[in-house]
Amino acid sequence: MTPPRRWTEAIVAAGAVRAAYVPEASTGRSDALEPAGAELVEGAALELHPVPLAAAPGPVISFLDGIQRWAVVGYDGATPIVRAHVAAAVRRRGPDRRPRTADEATRELVITRLAALSAPVRRALEEAGVEIVDLAADETGQPGRALRAAHGRVDRAREDVERELGERCAGRLGPEEWLVVDGLLSESRVLAEHPRVLGVIKSHGAQYFEGAALERALTVPADHRTSAFRPLGHQHQPVYSWYLRLWPWQGNDLLYGLLRIEARPHPASVAQATALSGWLLRERAPVSTPDARWDRLLYPIHDVETYLRSRAPRDLLPAAGSRLPKTGS
Amino acid sequence: MIDKSRPIPVGRVVATELKPATPHQFHFWTANETTIGIGAIVRVEASERGALGVGRVVYGVVTDGFAYSDLATPLHDVVGAEGDPARAAEAPTVRQEIRLWTAAVLRQIPEEPLQPVPLGQVHVAGDADVAQALRMDAYVGGAQPTPIPIGLYTSGGLEAPVYLDADFLLGPEAAHLNISGVSGLATKTSAVEFLLASVFRHFPAHKGRIAAVCFNVKGPDLCFLDRPGELDAEDRRRYARLDVEPRPFERVRYFAPFKADGVNLNTLRTHPDLVSDVDALVWGLQEVLDFAEVLLNRDDIDAKADAFIDFLADRVLNKEFDDGFGRQHRVQNFADLDALFRAIFDGLEATGRSDMWRTHHIATIRKVRNRLANISTRCKGLVTDDGPSNDLPWGELQDRTVYVVDVANVDPLGQDLVFARVVSKLREHLERRDLGVDAVVVFVDELNKYAPADGPETYVKKMLLDISERGRYLGLVLFGAEQFRSQVHRRIVGNAGTLVYGRMDMDELATPGYQVLSPATKIKLATLPIGELMVRHPHFTQPIFVRFPRPAPLRGRDGVERFPPAADLPFEDAVVRQLVQLDRRIRPNQVKDLITDRTAEDVRRALAGVRRARPEDALAYFRKALGTRIAPAAPRPRHVVPPLNPISEEPY
Ligand SMILES: Nc1ncnc2c1ncn2[C@@H]1O[C@H](COP(=O)(O)OP(=O)(O)OP(=O)(O)O)[C@@H](O)[C@H]1O
Ligand SMILES: [Mg+2]
Repeated sequence: MTPPRRWTEAIVAAGAVRAAYVPEASTGRSDALEPAGAELVEGAALELHPVPLAAAPGPVISFLDGIQRWAVVGYDGATPIVRAHVAAAVRRRGPDRRPRTADEATRELVITRLAALSAPVRRALEEAGVEIVDLAADETGQPGRALRAAHGRVDRAREDVERELGERCAGRLGPEEWLVVDGLLSESRVLAEHPRVLGVIKSHGAQYFEGAALERALTVPADHRTSAFRPLGHQHQPVYSWYLRLWPWQGNDLLYGLLRIEARPHPASVAQATALSGWLLRERAPVSTPDARWDRLLYPIHDVETYLRSRAPRDLLPAAGSRLPKTGS
Repeated sequence: MIDKSRPIPVGRVVATELKPATPHQFHFWTANETTIGIGAIVRVEASERGALGVGRVVYGVVTDGFAYSDLATPLHDVVGAEGDPARAAEAPTVRQEIRLWTAAVLRQIPEEPLQPVPLGQVHVAGDADVAQALRMDAYVGGAQPTPIPIGLYTSGGLEAPVYLDADFLLGPEAAHLNISGVSGLATKTSAVEFLLASVFRHFPAHKGRIAAVCFNVKGPDLCFLDRPGELDAEDRRRYARLDVEPRPFERVRYFAPFKADGVNLNTLRTHPDLVSDVDALVWGLQEVLDFAEVLLNRDDIDAKADAFIDFLADRVLNKEFDDGFGRQHRVQNFADLDALFRAIFDGLEATGRSDMWRTHHIATIRKVRNRLANISTRCKGLVTDDGPSNDLPWGELQDRTVYVVDVANVDPLGQDLVFARVVSKLREHLERRDLGVDAVVVFVDELNKYAPADGPETYVKKMLLDISERGRYLGLVLFGAEQFRSQVHRRIVGNAGTLVYGRMDMDELATPGYQVLSPATKIKLATLPIGELMVRHPHFTQPIFVRFPRPAPLRGRDGVERFPPAADLPFEDAVVRQLVQLDRRIRPNQVKDLITDRTAEDVRRALAGVRRARPEDALAYFRKALGTRIAPAAPRPRHVVPPLNPISEEPY
């Protein structure tokens, strides 16, 4: 008599791929969007292409990333007053393989609903000389709603800083230099059209395929990429894109080690897709542990993030100590 | 030059809860490419806006260094390289890494209140900083400066002279120097030669006159101190920077006993061009009896033998003495003494009376006779059976002069005798302030042989301990060198105010005496390049690394090549050579004719007479001396050498 098998074993025995992934309790932004659709620009169907390791396309590569930090620093009545810090940096890596900061930008914001503040508080804010982002009446009302709105403004401020810095950097790239951006290219025309700028996307809220194509795209094996396609839908600027798997996902999660790459919408991007992917595969090392996203986080991007974090204001970190009321003096 | 670099910091103090800055230690990071290394001296200043501890200046010396990257665990490097070490080197990005240093505080200004090191900027130290950091400002300037340069502190293209304080190197505040390190690489002998030159150049005028007595215990080591060796441009530059003349010693006098034949000198400085300034070191019975304790307590302590020796010295030597069996003796040398012994033994046997002679047991008499006979055979060239002695110029030591006593080839018993006598004489004259100089540096190489950590408490060991504990008040300063400090008597090294280390042996560094050093400092010591030393000195709160130039005198090894020792001459020729040295007019055949039918004893005695008298006409004197028996120097009152305290755990 065979011993009873657990059902988790049974499904694997029946052909399912084993995985182990505990979804985060709160999944941050909910971009559970409808499939946006895609137009294939390479071949007749979405195919898998093996990717051999390849050299970097040039001796000098720049990497761009941004961070955001925010905290409620006060309430006037029930109206939250949010302080936010957003920053982006470009770190340039030369032949000595060491990234050095080439450019950076930061913004310090106050986000609140000015009209809801009492006159002295409002005056104090306005006289402080900080950049104020005013929320609309319908965004506030309740503190919870106001915080959601503030979060959105912080996101946007960071995206703006990243985009401005990216465009400035792209404009200055030397003839053999490349720029790798953490995130979408399609938010900026300058970036989306630049022949030597790549976007590396590691969160996959948006899906472009359905059915068999979706399955094929999301189960792309390690060291392979998909055919290039043009994402459709809410894209601001047209770009070409493809999926690339850095590490085997089996035993982890479908999205483990999965990147989506964006490049300018040009036949050259299709022609270079395998070579560029081969280079990005090489960027797996060194691994960017202990960051939890190390399977997708390229080390030089992690390096930019580390740099920015080390320079961010310490008082915006979550309080490490107890939140018990402070007693006496 | 150095001061221009002041404003550019090379590092920054960092402190965390786990690695805080304290009043005695701090940590700082530098760029990955940096000139900072173990032993570098740095200055910390908190000057930026909002910093704590503004106005406080801290000097430190780097004692340890750390490098690490942001790698969370070694496993992740394996993952990134997919198990292939070759691929790890190909990664497109180099991981972030840090150079983190630990420094020990040398000095804080202000000194009070003593506080943790501020988290400020770190600068490399220049000349002025090094002077401050090592508290040298206290003795480099002022009305009566006392600096003695020992070497150059060197770090990252910057260098600064390091000075010892003469009051702490040569007394009276502290004294003595001990240097240790492995053979051939530690440059112990060389360092002492250089330092002696520096002491001669810089010994402060207000402290008077100084000389050095160096025991040459190894081959030709110290035989050519007056001859120039080879120096390169870098050496000369260092000499200039330290303000020491790159020249060999101007005034050196050599002393060596004879070989067993009594006419050839027992030294490697016998090349015809050089041998004329080697004086013979010859002692007679009287000199030996003064230090009879040396002979006895090498292996045993025997109060009865001591008493008998005292009896000989007080009642017999140079006196008319009746042996009690009807014979008169006048004992002036070993031969006379032996005649007395024979008379006693014969007399006792003939009368058959008892085993006692004048309250001394016959066994004690035999023992003393054996010991004395032993020394006159084992140290034949040093101790004359017969005839006058020849010694260092006690009372007339010259300023800035080196007296080399060559005992390299002398029997250990003889070496002990030489040490004991020379050092006791120095002490005696310094106590009476009539040595001719105010201070003497005594250099004893291979100290582990003469003052071993364990083994019997010999007279020599007690004497070296006595110098190291009391010498600083007298101006009697011991410079000792040995390979392994742990093998030297603890209180002798313990009393050395200045400790110097060359390249060290790892096993030695593992012994308890080195626990205070950081692992990195130990590694540096174990790999120290030739010409670099680590120095501890009372003013320095931490050990400091310095470089010194090659000594200006010719190296012993090169000396014997350039001035090969003369082969031992046949007896007659050796006599001729010695006389010719005294008087150039003498023809060899004249001498040979004179000595053909004389006994060697007579010839040696006559020769010693000539050497001592240094007459106008040496040949005539020699001829006359051969004809008569040379009377020993007029009997002098016996100088009883004050007894030494037994070695105890209490320093006083
Ligand atoms: N400052 C210096 N720079 C370069 N070389 C040096 C320096 N000082 C000494 N040397 C060389 O180092 C060698 C060893 O020196 P030295 O004989 O003084 O060592 P030591 O420690 O006394 O050795 P040992 O224990 O064998 O007596 C010599 O050949 C000497 O020329
Ligand atoms: Mg030596």
